[in-house]
Amino acid sequence: MVRRFPASALIGGGFILLLILVFMLLPLAIVAAASVTAGSFLTFPPQGFSLRWYGEVLASTAYLDAARTSLILATAVTASSVVIGTAAAIALHRRLLPGTSVLSALFLSPLVLPTIIFGIGLLIVASIYFGGPSLVALWVGHTVITVPYIVRTVAAVLSDADPQIEEAARTMGARPLQRLWFVVLPQARAGIIAGGFFAFNVSFDEAVVALFLRSPGVETLPMRIYGQLEFSPTPAVAAVSTLMILLTILLIVAIERFLGLRRVAG
Amino acid sequence: MSFLELSNITKRFGTFEALRGISLSIERGSFVSLLGPSGCGKTTLLRIIAGLETPNGGNVVIDGSDVTRLPPEARKLAMMFQSYALLPHMTVLDNVRFPLRMQGSSSTADQRRRAHEALALVKLDHLADSRPRQLSGGQQQRVALARAIVYQPRVLLLDEPLSNLDARLREDMQIELQDLHRRLGLTTIFVTHDQEEALSLSDRVVLMRDGSVERDAPADVIYDDPGTPFAADFLGAANVVEVSGDPSAVRLADGQVLNISAPDDTSLLVMRQEDLRLGGDGLSFQGVVEARVFMGTRVRYVVRVGDAKIRLLVARDAIVAPGEQVTVTIEPDRVRWAHPRRDR
Repeated sequence: MVRRFPASALIGGGFILLLILVFMLLPLAIVAAASVTAGSFLTFPPQGFSLRWYGEVLASTAYLDAARTSLILATAVTASSVVIGTAAAIALHRRLLPGTSVLSALFLSPLVLPTIIFGIGLLIVASIYFGGPSLVALWVGHTVITVPYIVRTVAAVLSDADPQIEEAARTMGARPLQRLWFVVLPQARAGIIAGGFFAFNVSFDEAVVALFLRSPGVETLPMRIYGQLEFSPTPAVAAVSTLMILLTILLIVAIERFLGLRRVAG
Repeated sequence: MSFLELSNITKRFGTFEALRGISLSIERGSFVSLLGPSGCGKTTLLRIIAGLETPNGGNVVIDGSDVTRLPPEARKLAMMFQSYALLPHMTVLDNVRFPLRMQGSSSTADQRRRAHEALALVKLDHLADSRPRQLSGGQQQRVALARAIVYQPRVLLLDEPLSNLDARLREDMQIELQDLHRRLGLTTIFVTHDQEEALSLSDRVVLMRDGSVERDAPADVIYDDPGTPFAADFLGAANVVEVSGDPSAVRLADGQVLNISAPDDTSLLVMRQEDLRLGGDGLSFQGVVEARVFMGTRVRYVVRVGDAKIRLLVARDAIVAPGEQVTVTIEPDRVRWAHPRRDR
């Protein structure tokens, strides 16, 4: 039997959905619209239609360098936080270490602590001990703030996994590393992929820590956009923002296909 | 010394005593059931044999060597779990090949050949390339069985492997298990809470209660002569009746005297449901029919004698209505006696 909802609930629900769509998608739509302007100023509605600002962005060494820095950074951050986060999630899930609940809170704390305070602290530490801000310091900083995502997603899939599979593997002669490779990592796989996606995205558009660790040779894309917006807000900012949105959508589609295909085949 | 020797195994979980000094000797090639209600320690004992739990005291000796401190991966045993525990991301063939691959003893081609042979034994070779998820519960069960026997383990441990199957599949699997056991001669230990399963599958039943062995005997012996009130009750189908008076003149609760003598004054009278009849010759007593339940080929009666209820399982031709007075009889040589265990 189909459950029937009163008309008032349907209208109310529809209205809330509409609000969500407006507040989430409208800003993105405006940025995308502003990027195709033929004029020289960042305005809405756009004046005419042209892709000249995309050409401008793709010809600008400053933007391309920043994009390359961001991609390298996000990739390195994803790799390091996947390794650390997965290991931490497995250890926390099995309660291998004393004080698991304290450790678990510690690993998740970057999600709730103000990033700006962490940024200031990291800047001081980098200045005192590591000769000032650098890409490496930024990598460390981003790893710290992205690890919680992986700990969360991996711990979630592990708590759904059947613990008897590993016990069965033990009785069949699988040694610890074999069990990690053949049983535990496959069980954690969906969480690793989802968490890695979050980590990549968070690092790719993170601006607060990046702002504090800004140094002459190190400029990420969000910093470049921010700087441009502050000093000469051209439609190039909108164009590069639109490209970032497209990259994110592409990643989501890829992940969905990947995990979706796995569901079908597995 | 037997093939598998457990001596004085104890296990505590916090303040809970799961096992209170279990000693068992299991012969090579035998099929033994560990039977008991949940919480009796049967699964804990199985996990200690597998090495998945470490006992607080006692020893596990397999084939002459003490394995008490060995991890499960060094014991060369196989264990089948209630959830089947198949690897979801591998094909059926790779699942069955998994133990051979972990032990790395032979070439890939040889491993695949042996996995195919094991699958053929459980009649699933045609599904070798499927994923576990595409299989029914019964098929997954047989894949798990193939995986357990593919590397000729020293002991096959089964932890309630049939409890997730429906009645029909269960029966098929029981026959298949017995058949495999006969053909391969694997020493098999089977944990179950189902007395029928224990009696029908195994040569020997170890009945456990509160972390101790209540009764350990061949299936037919334990069925005919449960020995303790708990065993009689748990194995079902038996009436355990308290009697009073001196052993030479046994009295039922309502004062009727039975023409039989008890071994001693702590004895309890045990009468199997199917050994009792309505009317006829033999040892007899009076009662009132309280209920009649149709059971297919037979009818179950509940007869009240004083404040005791006696259950009978008789052929369908005897029809007596509830409320009627009846004479219940039993052949004197079918009467058994039980004794409460003194250590409780």
